[in-house]
Amino acid sequence: MTTPNIAASAYAAIQRAANGVTPASKPNTQGNGFGQMLQNVLGDITSKGQQMDAKAMAAANGKGDLVDVVTAVAETEVAVETLVSVRDRMIQAYEEIMRMPI
Amino acid sequence: MDFMRSIFIAATGLRAQSGRMRVIAENIANANSTAANSATDPYRRRVPSFSTSFDRDLQATVVSMGRVRTDGSDFTVRNEPGHPAADGTGNVKYPNVNTLIETVDMREAQRSYEANLNVITATRRMIARTIEILRA
Repeated sequence: MTTPNIAASAYAAIQRAANGVTPASKPNTQGNGFGQMLQNVLGDITSKGQQMDAKAMAAANGKGDLVDVVTAVAETEVAVETLVSVRDRMIQAYEEIMRMPI
Repeated sequence: MDFMRSIFIAATGLRAQSGRMRVIAENIANANSTAANSATDPYRRRVPSFSTSFDRDLQATVVSMGRVRTDGSDFTVRNEPGHPAADGTGNVKYPNVNTLIETVDMREAQRSYEANLNVITATRRMIARTIEILRA
């Protein structure tokens, strides 16, 4: 995630994923399940991505501080990487269960 | 998260050192700036200062560039009778900037900046290695 283009497309993909989660498709409606947690984190990442975009655009226009862009990108990168890893791990565990012969 | 906080703290160091670099650039650029006439003073060397402050958002002590003060030492005087800024005896006041000292200061700012960059790089590597555990 070093160029704004890649960042923008990743951020758009996350936003699409966040919009795709409808309350009906959630298996757990108690509000504290994995789905809810994912949704919270996605919202957090979306706002971080927006901040990062704003800072990158300001820096591109010669108004922002380069250090601000670097810290914002690092913050967003960490959040996205963590989320993606947790999601992959969860899906892997789910697939493992689905492959179990009954 | 502590890792993110250390990145932000190192970022304040980067900002402080880039401000210091700006002051050094001013000094070097104006090393030969004389006054318009003998009555006024030429450029006076500027000295940056750093201050420690407690950042409430980060809950940590960060560094920021404090006031930029002027160096009160004597001006360099050279005898150049033909110079427009020369006084009655032909002496011209040049700024109290020593390019050698500025170069050493610049090197120090560069090293400090690199040290802060290394903090950011090391922190990011630690985060990445931690996330890698999930993938294994």
